[in-house]
Amino acid sequence: MERICDDCIVKINETGTKVKYKPGIVNGGKRLEHDCGVSRSIGYFLEPLLVLGLFAKNPLSIRLKGITNDSKDPSIDTFMSTTLALLRRFGVPSEGLELKIECRGVPPRGGGAVVLSVPIVRTSLTPVIWTDEGMVKRIRGVTFSTRVSTQFELSMIHSARGVFNRLLPDVHISTDHKVGEQAGNSPGYGISLVAETTSGCFISADTAISYGIREETGEIEDDDRKDLMPAEDVGNQIASILLEEIEQGGVVDSTHHGLLFLLCALCPQDISKVRVGKLSPYGIQSLKLIRDFLGVKFDIKPDPASGTVILKCIGLSFRISSERTTWSNEMQTSKLACWNNLFSDTSLQTSKPITNCWLICRLTMLDGYNGQAILKMCC
Amino acid sequence: MAVGNEEQSHKAHRSRQAGPSAKKGKSSKKKGNKSDAKNQNPKAFAFNSNVKAKRLQSRAVEKEQRRLHVPAIDRTTGDPAPYVVVVHGPSKVGKSLLIKCLVKHYTKHNLPEVRGPITIVSGKQRRLQFVECPNDIPGMIDCAKFADLVLLLIDGSYGFEMETFEFLNILQNHGFPRIMGVLTHLDKFKDVKKLKKTKKQLKHRFWTEIYDGAKLFYLSGLIHGKYPKREVHNLARFISVMKFPHLSWRTSHPYILVDRFEDVTSPERVQQNKKCDRNVILYGYLRGCNLKKGSKVHIAGVGDFSLTGITTLVDPCPLPSAAKKKGLRDKEKLFYAPMSGLGDLLYDKDAVYININDHFVQFSKTDDENGGLTQKGKDRDVGEALVRSLQNTKYSIDEKLEKSFINLFGGKLNISSESVDCVQNSSGGYEKIHEENTSDHYRYEDSETDESEENIGNPNNTDVSGASVKKKAVKEFATSKTQLNLSDDEQNDLSDEEVPSRNNLKEHIEIYDGRPRRRAISDMDVDYNDAKDSNDEDKDDDHGDDEDKDDDDDTGDKSYFGSNSSNREGHEGSLEEVEKGNASKWRDSLLERMTLRQHTNLAQLVYGTSKSVPDVSYSQEHIGDEESEDDDFFKPKGQGGKRKLTEGVDADNVNADDCSKFTNSSSLKDWKNEELIKMIRDRFVTGDWSKAARRSQLSKAGSGSDVSDSDNDDAVYGEFEDLETGETYKGHHTVTGNNDALHKEDDSIIEERRLKKLALHEEGNGETGEKFHRSRANESGFFEKMKEEVELQKQMNLAELNDLDEATRIDIEGFRTGNYVRLEIHAVPCEMVEYFDPCHPILVGGIGLGEENVGYMQVKIKRHRWHKKVLKTRDPIIVSMGWRRYQTIPVYAVEDNNGRLRMIKYTPEHLHCLAMFYGPLAPPKTGVVAFQNLSNYQASFRIMATAVVLEFNHAAHIVKKIKLVGYPCKIFKKTALIKDMFTSDLEIARFEGAAVKTVSGIRGQVKKAAKQEIGSEPRKKGGIPREGIARCTFEDKILMSDIVFLRAWTQVEIPRFFNPLTTALQPHEQTWQGMKTVAELRKEHNLPIPVNKDSLYKPIERKLRKFNPLVIPKSLQAALPFASKPKEIPSSRKPLLESQRAVVMERHEREVHKLIQHYQLLQKAKVEKRKHKDAEKRRALEAERAKEQQVSRKRQREERRERYREQEKLKKIRKASDA
Repeated sequence: MERICDDCIVKINETGTKVKYKPGIVNGGKRLEHDCGVSRSIGYFLEPLLVLGLFAKNPLSIRLKGITNDSKDPSIDTFMSTTLALLRRFGVPSEGLELKIECRGVPPRGGGAVVLSVPIVRTSLTPVIWTDEGMVKRIRGVTFSTRVSTQFELSMIHSARGVFNRLLPDVHISTDHKVGEQAGNSPGYGISLVAETTSGCFISADTAISYGIREETGEIEDDDRKDLMPAEDVGNQIASILLEEIEQGGVVDSTHHGLLFLLCALCPQDISKVRVGKLSPYGIQSLKLIRDFLGVKFDIKPDPASGTVILKCIGLSFRISSERTTWSNEMQTSKLACWNNLFSDTSLQTSKPITNCWLICRLTMLDGYNGQAILKMCC
Repeated sequence: MAVGNEEQSHKAHRSRQAGPSAKKGKSSKKKGNKSDAKNQNPKAFAFNSNVKAKRLQSRAVEKEQRRLHVPAIDRTTGDPAPYVVVVHGPSKVGKSLLIKCLVKHYTKHNLPEVRGPITIVSGKQRRLQFVECPNDIPGMIDCAKFADLVLLLIDGSYGFEMETFEFLNILQNHGFPRIMGVLTHLDKFKDVKKLKKTKKQLKHRFWTEIYDGAKLFYLSGLIHGKYPKREVHNLARFISVMKFPHLSWRTSHPYILVDRFEDVTSPERVQQNKKCDRNVILYGYLRGCNLKKGSKVHIAGVGDFSLTGITTLVDPCPLPSAAKKKGLRDKEKLFYAPMSGLGDLLYDKDAVYININDHFVQFSKTDDENGGLTQKGKDRDVGEALVRSLQNTKYSIDEKLEKSFINLFGGKLNISSESVDCVQNSSGGYEKIHEENTSDHYRYEDSETDESEENIGNPNNTDVSGASVKKKAVKEFATSKTQLNLSDDEQNDLSDEEVPSRNNLKEHIEIYDGRPRRRAISDMDVDYNDAKDSNDEDKDDDHGDDEDKDDDDDTGDKSYFGSNSSNREGHEGSLEEVEKGNASKWRDSLLERMTLRQHTNLAQLVYGTSKSVPDVSYSQEHIGDEESEDDDFFKPKGQGGKRKLTEGVDADNVNADDCSKFTNSSSLKDWKNEELIKMIRDRFVTGDWSKAARRSQLSKAGSGSDVSDSDNDDAVYGEFEDLETGETYKGHHTVTGNNDALHKEDDSIIEERRLKKLALHEEGNGETGEKFHRSRANESGFFEKMKEEVELQKQMNLAELNDLDEATRIDIEGFRTGNYVRLEIHAVPCEMVEYFDPCHPILVGGIGLGEENVGYMQVKIKRHRWHKKVLKTRDPIIVSMGWRRYQTIPVYAVEDNNGRLRMIKYTPEHLHCLAMFYGPLAPPKTGVVAFQNLSNYQASFRIMATAVVLEFNHAAHIVKKIKLVGYPCKIFKKTALIKDMFTSDLEIARFEGAAVKTVSGIRGQVKKAAKQEIGSEPRKKGGIPREGIARCTFEDKILMSDIVFLRAWTQVEIPRFFNPLTTALQPHEQTWQGMKTVAELRKEHNLPIPVNKDSLYKPIERKLRKFNPLVIPKSLQAALPFASKPKEIPSSRKPLLESQRAVVMERHEREVHKLIQHYQLLQKAKVEKRKHKDAEKRRALEAERAKEQQVSRKRQREERRERYREQEKLKKIRKASDA
C-alpha cells in the first residue's frame, strides 16, 4: 500500500495486536511491482486495489506477484470475467481496465504474476439501478492446471458439464494449461465458472452472475495429500455452488457483495438500487464498514417473493479530490495526489495477532472521514 | 420561383413625411450611412470563399457551444428554501432603509430595525430572506457565501466606494450569485444633466465589473423618509422574477444561514463558570444539499463542530399552499424575523418572546366548528389538524381534568369522593382565575402542575366522574392534553402566524409593557414524550370505534405508557380489541406492521450493534406463532429461514478469516437431484419463461409497495403457501408465457416513458422563461440528450426515494434542503454567545468529504491589480475558501519547464504564480480570496490576491536554488581537490557525480572524497585529518584562484501554520489580529531591516593586471620565419644621432625665442584672469535672476488665485440668477 500511497504509515506493534494506520495519498503510477507473499492470494489484494486505483491520481498499473489461485480468495479468472464487468457497470472506462495473467501460481509456493491496470474515473462513477437479474443465458468457465497433467482439467470440465447438462446447453469451459515458467512454483489445478444471464427479453445482456474458483493444491511433498480432492469432485462441487448462487438470485454473487456495496456508496448523489441474494457475512461486514467510515447507510429491504434483498443508497459523490486542474502544460507523471484523507490516527485493536499487515489494505478502501470510528476487525 | 417573386409587387412602404418619427428616421439614416459601409455594398461582404464561410460557421457553432453549460442535476426536492437577498453597501448608503421599504412593500408592516435575516413570503412560490451585510471584511466574506441575490447599494452622489469593489471581488471568487446595483442618494444632484452623466458613468463602470447590461437600479430620492413606493415596487418586481444560478460549491455543500440563535447551557453551569463551553441551538433553513446525520459543520468565525442533534421543524414561514388562487391573501403574507423582533418572536439573548396581539387572544370552540374545520382542513398544516383531532376525542375531558387534579396533590393514588367534591369546589375557584385570564394576561409556569391547573381552569371541564386511575399515565396524558390544547388555542388565533417550534418550546408568558409576552424555553425531553403520547392516543382513537369501550381504551393506554418498548404489548392489546371489530381491516393493518417490522429488523441485523435486537425479533416471532395460527398464515415464504441464517452469520463472523468468499461447502445440495433442478429450472433460459417474468414482476411490485399502499399489498402477498395442504396459491394466473414476458417488457418501457414524460414536464417548467428567445433547434442534440438524461436521473431518484418512509429517507438521504432545521451544538466557546450580534449573520456550512483535514494546498494565485505591493513569501495572509477563513503562511513558487516547483521570494508583478500553504483542505477549483489586513480604517484596497485551488497534498515539494562554494586546495593536472564545499565525507558521497563549475567557466564533476593524506597536511607533518575535501575532475586545469560552484536544489519547508479567523469570538467592532508580518513587527519595534553586506552591490573595481613579458623559447624562435622572429635590438646600442645633437641658437634667435616665451606667458595670465572675472559675473547674474524668478512666481500665483476666485464668484452669481 505504501507503494501507491504517500505519507501513509502503517504501524504494527510487536505483539501484533494493534494496528495504527495513518492513511495518506493514493498516488497511482505506472510499472509498479509488489510481491504479495504467499500467505494470501493476489485476489485478496486485488479487491481493494481496484477501488483505490479508481480514485488515485494517476492511472495505476501494477504487477503483483504471489498466488493467483487459491481456495480462500476469489481467483484471478473470476476477477477477469466478473469483477471487471461489475466495474464497467459502474461507468468505469473499459479502456485501461485490464488484468493479465503472466504466470499462474498456487499455494504453497506461489510464483504467479499478474499485471493489473486500472484507469481513474474522471468525474465520478455512474449510479446503477440494477434489480433485474434475468435468466442464465450461458455458462462459461476456465480451468487451469499448473505442473500437473491436462487430464485433471478435462475431468473437471466433464463433471461440471454433467451438472449443467440438464439445465442449459450453452456451457463452454476452456482450459488453460500452463507449463514451464508460467506454471509457477507449485502444482495445482482449478476451475472458474461464470454464468451470464439475460433478462427474459434480451434487453439487457450485461447481467452476470459468476462464481469464483475453488481449487485444491496438489502438494506432492506435503502430507496434506489426504484431503486432496479428485478433479471430478472439484468440478462437480463448483458447478453446484454456481447453481446455488444462481438460485439465490441477486445481480452479483455473494463474493462480490462487498465490492458492489462499496461502489454504490461511492457513486454520485443519486440513488443506486441493487438486488442481491442472501447477504453474505462479508457483505454485511462491508455494509457496516461503509456505514462507519463513509457514513453511507443503505436501505435494506427483503423481497419476500423472490427471497432476495434490495438495497438502496444514495452515494457519497466521491471524486478524485486531488486531480490537478489542467492548468500547467504538462501533467506531472508521478506527482503526489490524495484522495482520501485520513482520519487522524485510528487504532485498530484486535484480539488476535495480526499476521498480515496487508489486511489493512482492505480498510483503506473504506477509510474515510469520521476518524473516531473504531474498527472491529477480525483477523 | 424567383421570377414569380419579382412579378408580384407589394405595396411600397411610405415613410412618414412629417412629425417626430420622420425626423428620427432621417437622423438615424444619416448616422447609419455614415457609420457602415455595409449598407452601400452588401455584396462586398458576402462570402466569397467557402473556406471562409465554413470558418465563420464553425466559429458561430463554437460560440453557441461555449454558451452551454454541462447540465447538473437539481437534487432539491420540495419547496426551495427562501432565497437570500443580501443588501450590501458602504455605511450610510441606505441599506436598512431599503430592506425596511421592501419588507413594508411585501408585508405592509413597518420594521423598526433590521437585525438578522428577515424571511418573508413574496409570492405563492417564493420566499425571500433579506440580510443586511455588515460593513467589515469577515461579514462581507460570509455574506458572499450565502447570498443568492446581492443588492449592491451605491451612493450615487459619491460614486463607487472601495467596499463595493471588494465585495464584488469576493463574490466573484466564491461563485457569482446574481447581482443588482441600486443607486441611492440621487436626490443630492441638483443638476439634471450632471445626474444623467453620473448615472451613465456609474452604469458603465458597473458593467465592466459584472457584465454588459447588468441591471443598475435607481432610487431617486426619499419621500417621508422612505424610498418612493413605485420604485420599491419595481425593485420588488425585479427581484421576484429573478432566476438564481446553481453555484457548484453550494450545490455540493449544505449550509444554513442562522436566523435564530439560542444558548441552552444550563444556567447552573454558567453560574459556576462564566467561561464554560456553551451549548447552543441554531435555527435556519437548510440550503445547498442534503445534510447527513453524522456530518460536521463549520460555523464561520468560530470553528468546526460536530452536530449533537439535528431536527427538522415546522416551517415558520411556510409557502402559501398552491391552491387555485390568484394572489396572496393578506393573511398569508407572512414574515419571520426572530432576530429583528418581528414575526411575533422577539429575539433576546437568553430567551425568545412571542408577541400576540390582544385581540387575537381567544379560545377555540372545539365541537361546534367541526364542520367548518373539515372543509378548511386542506389549508391547515398537519400539526393543526392533529390538534384538532385531539380536540374531538371521544373520551371526555372531564376525566382528564379529574386525573390532573389528582396530579396536583401529588402523593395520593386514589381519591375519594370528598376530594372530588373538593375539586368541584376548587374548580369554581379556578373559574374566577380564568375570568382574570381572559381579561388580559396569562401566566403559565414551566412546571407541569401549573399547566394542568390551567387546564382545570378551562370552563369546558366541569363534569366530574369518580374513577381511580394510575397516576403516572394519567399525568402524562393530561399534560400532553393541556399542552396541545394550549397550542391549539394559539393556533386558532394566529392561524397562520404560527409559532415555529412548538414542539420543543415550553412557553412562559409574562407581562411586559402591558402586553402579554411568552417566554419560550426550550426543553426537548418533556415535549418529545408528550408528542409520543399524543400519537399513541391518536392511534387509539382510530381503533376504538365504540364509545362504550372507553375503559378498554384506557387499559390500552396503560399498557402503552407502562412499558417503554411497548410495541409488542400494545400490539396485543389492539389485537384483542380489534378481533371484535372488522376482521379484514385489522388484517391489513397487521400485515403492514409485520412488513414494517421485518424491514427494520433486517436493517437492524446489518447495522445493529448488539445481538440483542435480532433475538428480540426472533422471540417475537415465536410468540406470534403460538398466539395465533393466522399470524403464520400471513408469513411470507422463506422469510423465517433467512432470518435465522443471517443471525447465525452475524454471530460467528467475528473470528472468521477476512475473506470475501463465503461458501459452506458442507451444506451443498446435490444438484443432480431432480427436485432441486426443478426449483431452479426457471432461472435459465431453457426454463419456463413465464415464471421468470412473473418472478421479476412480483419482486418489482414488492419493492414498490413498501409504503404500504393497500392495493400493492395485495400484489405482494398474493402468493402464499398454505402450510396445511402444501398448495401454493398464485396471485395471478398466466395465459401464455410469451405473452407475459412481453407484458413485462411493456411494463418496463412504460415505466421509462413515464419517467421521461415527467422529466420533460419538469424541464419545461423550469426553463420556459429561459427558452423564449432561444430556438430549440439550435441547441445541439448532444446537449439535449444530456439534459434529458439528467432529468431522467432526477425523476428516477425521486421515484425511488418516494417509496421510502420518512425515517429511512432521512437515514439514507439526510435532511432535505428547504427544511427548517434546528442544530444543536455543544461545547461552543462562550465568547460566541457573549459577543453574539444579530447584525452579523451566522453562517453554518457543512463540511464535505475530507475537508476537515489539514494539509498543504497548492493554489494558483494572482496578486490583485489594485493591491499596491507585491506579495512576499512567508508573509502571513488571510484566506477565505469554502466556508472557512483562516490565516496561513504561503510560500510562492513558479513551475519550471521540467515541472519543478521553484520558490520565489516575491510574487511576479502581473502574472499568476503558485502558492503553497498549510490549512484545512478544500477541493480543487475552489475560489480563494486573500487579505492581509482586515482593518476598516484602511484606505486602500484590502483584497490582496485571488486564487483558485489546484490540488492538495500531504507533502509539499517546493525547492529553491542552492550554490555550494568551494576553493581548490590542491591542483593536479585536471583534477583538483576542493575544500570548503562540503563539511563531511558523507555529504560528498551524497553528491558524487554532481556537476561543478568554476567561475571561469571550466566544467567538472565531483568524484569522491579525497584521501585524507592528500587533501590535508600529511599526518606525519602533524596535520589534523580534515573531512569534506572532494576530488573533482575538470575539463581543463583550473587555477588556484578559481572558485568552484556546485549548483543544487534544496527543499523549502512550508510552515505548518494556520489560524482560524475567529471573528465571532470577539467584539465585532474590534479588528481581528492574527500573526503579524515581519515588516509590521519591525515597524512596531523600530528595527532596521538587516542588511547582509555581501549582498550589497558595490562598484566593481578591476585592478590592472600586470603581465610578464612574453618569452618565446629559443627553439621556437629558431624555427620561426624571419618576419615573425622577434627583432632583437641590442640594448647596448648608442642613442640616435638626432637625440644626441645639441641645438645652439644665434644670439638674435635666442632673444626672439625669449620674447615669444614672455608674450605667451602674459597671454596665458590674461586669459586666466578674464575667465575668473566672467565666472564671477555669471554667478552674480544667476543669483539675481533666481531672486527675480521667485518674486514673479509668487506674483503669478497670487494673480491666478485672484482670477479663479473671481470666476467662481461669477459662476455662483450666475447660478443664483439662473435659479
